[in-house]
Amino acid sequence: MAGKSGRTIANTIDKPWKKVILSWEGVLVLLFIAINILCIAISPVYNATNLLRESPKYLAEMLLLFPMAYLLLLGEIDISVGSIVCLAATMACMASNAGVPFFGVVCIAIITGLACGAFNGFITIKFRELPTMIITLGTQIVFRGIAEIALGSGGSISLTDSSGFKLLNGKIGIFPYSFFLIIICAIVFTVIADRRNYGRKLYAIGSNAKTAFYSGIKVKQTILIAFIVIGVFAGLSGLFLTSTAYGANTTTGKNFEMDAIAMAVFGGVSNMGGKGKLYGAFVSAFTIMCLRIGLGQINVNSQVILIILGLLLICAVLLPNIAGMISAKKRTAK
Amino acid sequence: MSEYILELKGITKIFPGVKALNNVQFQLKKGEVHALMGENGAGKSTFIKVITGVHKAEEGEMFLNGQKVDFRGPRDAQLAGIAAVYQHPTSYPDLSVTENIFMNHEIKKHGIIQWKEMNKKAQEFLDELDADFKSTAEMGTLSVAQQQMVEIAKAISTGAQIVILDEPTAALTANEAEKLYEIVEKLRDKGVSIIFISHRFEDMYRLATRVTVFRDSQYIGTYDVDKITNADLIKAMVGREISDMYPKPEVTPGKELLRVENLSRVGYFKDVSFKVRAGEIVGLTGLVGAGRTEVVEAICGITKLNSGKVFLEGKEVHIKNPTDSKNLGIVLLPEDRQKTGLILSWGLGRNVTLPVFDRISKSGFCDEKTERDLAKKLLEDVDTKAVSIFDPASSLSGGNQQKVVVAKALAQDNMKVIIMDEPTKGVDVGAKAEIYSIMGELAQKGYAIIMISSEMPEILGMSDRIYVMCNGHITGELSRGEVTQETILELAMEKSKESKEEVVS
Repeated sequence: MAGKSGRTIANTIDKPWKKVILSWEGVLVLLFIAINILCIAISPVYNATNLLRESPKYLAEMLLLFPMAYLLLLGEIDISVGSIVCLAATMACMASNAGVPFFGVVCIAIITGLACGAFNGFITIKFRELPTMIITLGTQIVFRGIAEIALGSGGSISLTDSSGFKLLNGKIGIFPYSFFLIIICAIVFTVIADRRNYGRKLYAIGSNAKTAFYSGIKVKQTILIAFIVIGVFAGLSGLFLTSTAYGANTTTGKNFEMDAIAMAVFGGVSNMGGKGKLYGAFVSAFTIMCLRIGLGQINVNSQVILIILGLLLICAVLLPNIAGMISAKKRTAK
Repeated sequence: MSEYILELKGITKIFPGVKALNNVQFQLKKGEVHALMGENGAGKSTFIKVITGVHKAEEGEMFLNGQKVDFRGPRDAQLAGIAAVYQHPTSYPDLSVTENIFMNHEIKKHGIIQWKEMNKKAQEFLDELDADFKSTAEMGTLSVAQQQMVEIAKAISTGAQIVILDEPTAALTANEAEKLYEIVEKLRDKGVSIIFISHRFEDMYRLATRVTVFRDSQYIGTYDVDKITNADLIKAMVGREISDMYPKPEVTPGKELLRVENLSRVGYFKDVSFKVRAGEIVGLTGLVGAGRTEVVEAICGITKLNSGKVFLEGKEVHIKNPTDSKNLGIVLLPEDRQKTGLILSWGLGRNVTLPVFDRISKSGFCDEKTERDLAKKLLEDVDTKAVSIFDPASSLSGGNQQKVVVAKALAQDNMKVIIMDEPTKGVDVGAKAEIYSIMGELAQKGYAIIMISSEMPEILGMSDRIYVMCNGHITGELSRGEVTQETILELAMEKSKESKEEVVS
C-alpha cells in the first residue's frame, strides 16, 4: 500500500535462552533446587517418600492454583474458593452417608462447585463495575455459611463408608493419584494458556479488557468460563480432601484461596492481569510445598513457617520492582 | 536589560542512546506569543521539560531576563515565574477548582487554610477568564476545556510571567478553541509571555507572531508568522515537501454498503440516518459531544440502541456486540488508540491479529507462524515505522500507533465498512499525510469509509459527503462541492439549546 519507504519489519525473534534463565521462572527453578538442598541438609527424614506422603493436602490445594492463575491473568480474583471446597466436601460427605453411590457423590461435589463458580461468574459479568474481590468476599461468607448450616451444631461430618473415597486416595508406587492429576493439569492449563485461543483471550482481556472488547473478543464469556472452571476444580479439591480426611468440617478448605493466590503470585502471575506464566506458578507451588514440609519435619512452628512464607512472597513481589529501580538508576547515571 | 525574557542557548539533552535535543536555541520576547512546532518526537516536549526544570540539560545555558539561571527542579522554575499547562490537565479530579488552583500554594493563616479567601480569589481568577463555572465546582465534572482554564488560572495565581501551553487545543472543539485564543490574547495583553505548542496551523496563525521549528531534535529556525508560507513551514517541519496533503482519489461510488435509519439512544442521539457506499469516504463532523462517537459505537454493538435499523448491503442486520459487528465486516477504529484500540504492552504483531487470531487458528490452537507472516505483511503495507513485530505498541508514536490500528482492521479480510474515529488525533503532519493516503487507497479498494473528525481541513479535504451532527441530531448532509467551513460550523452549532432539551427528555 503506502509502502513508499520500503521499510521491512522483522517477524522472527532470536531464541533468547539467556532470557529464559534470567526470567522469574528461571529464578524459581533455581530456588526450587536450592530449597530442596536446604531441606535435605536440615531434615534427616526429608526424602521423596516422606515428601509425597505429606503431599496430598497441598496437592488438593494446587488443584485450585491453575484456574486461580487464569482468573488472575484476567485481572479478576476469586477468594470464595476455600468456601466452595468446604461446601462441596460437605455435600459429598452427606451424599455418601445417605447411601448415594460413589459416582453420584463425585457428580454432586462437582455440580456444587460448578454452581458456586457459575454464580460468582454470573454476578461478575452482570455487574462489571463491582470488583470481584468484593463479590467473592460476599460469596465466601455465603458458601461457608451454607456449609456450616449443613454441618449442623457439631460442625463436622465423618464418612460412614469411605470405600469409594479410597479410590481417590490410592497410589501408584509412592505417588498419590492427585500427584498425577496435578501434573496433567499443569500441562493442560499451560498449553491452553500459551497455545490455544482461550489463552490468548485471557491475556488480551487481562492486558486491556476494553481493547479486547472493541476487537470483538467475547469478554464476558471468557470470564464466566474461568469462574466455572475454578468452581469445578474447587469441587474436585473438596473430594480429594474428603478422601484424605474421611470427612469434612467447618475448617475444610480454609485459606485455600489465599494459598492458591500466594502460589500464583509467587510464580510470577500478576494480580493486575495479563502477565505471568502458568509453569512459573507450577514451580512456585512445588517450591512452597517442599519448604513447608521440610520445615515441618524439623518441627519448626507452623506459625513461623507462615511468617517465612509471607516474607518470601513480599520479596518475590518486590524483587522485580527493585530490579527495575536499579536498572533505571543505572540508565540515568550514564 | 536583554531584549528577551527567556533565552536558551546550545541546549543538549541526552537520554540513554538518544540525543533528545541537539544544540537547540530559543528566544522569547516579553509579551509575545511564540509558537513551537515540529513533528512528534522532534524534541518539543523534552525542551519544555528543560525550561520547567523537570529535565536537566547536559549542555547549554538558560537566561531569564538576561540573567543566567540554573533550575534544579520544577519548584525552581515555578518560583522564577514559569508555568506549564498540558494537553491533558494533570489535575486532581476529586478536588474542587479552588483546591486545584491553590495546590501547593494555599493561602494560610497560622497554618490554617483560609477557605473563604481562597474561594473568593479563585473566583476572581476565573471571572477574569470569563469562566462559566464556579470555583467550588468539582474538577472532575468539568470539560477538558474548562479544566484547562483552571490550569491557566493556576498559572496566573502563581504569578507566572512565562506560560507554556502544550497542545492546548488538541482536545477542544472549534469554539472552545476560540475561547482559549481569547484567553491567550488577554494574557498577552497583560504582558505575559507565552510559548504555544501545537500541531494545528490554525492555532499558530491565529495567535503567534513568531514560530520556532524543531526537527529531529535540532533547531531548524525561527520565523515571523506573517512572512512564512504554509508550504515552507511544513517543509521546515517535515524536512521534505508534501505536495498533496489530501490525496483524495476520484472514486465512483459503488453500491450502498451501510445504511442506518432512525437510530436512537436515549440521552445521546435521536433519529440518526445516513448511508455510505463502496469506495466512498463519508465525513461525520460536529462539535465534540454532538454524539458522533456514540452513534458509531452503537452501530458496532459496543453500546445498545434503543431503536432504529441498520442495513448492510441492503439487508437488515442486528448487531448486539462487537463480535457480531466484526463478523459482519463493520470495523471501528476507535478514537482512543491507547485505551481501546491497542494493547500497549503487547507486541505489534499480536495487536494486529487480535481480532482474527481465532479465525487463523487450527482446531483451537493459535497458528503463530501464519499470524506473524500476516502481521509483517500488513504492517509493511501501511509503512509502520518499527523494527520488529515484537516491539511493544507503547514504543510507537501516535501516528504509527494509528497505522497499527489500520493494519489491525485490514487483518479482517471480511471487512466492508471501516469507521475511523478521529484518525489523526495527536498525529503529526508527516504521519497525517500518510494516513490520508492510506485512506485514499482503502477507498479505491472499494471499502466504505466513515471518518469522524473535528478537524475542518481534513473533513473538507478527504470526504465525498459530509454529515454534520449537533446535539445528537444530524443537522445537515453536504456534498464535496457545495461545502465550506462556515456552512459546517453553522450546522454544527444550530439551535443548540432546544435540540439538547429534546434529546435528553
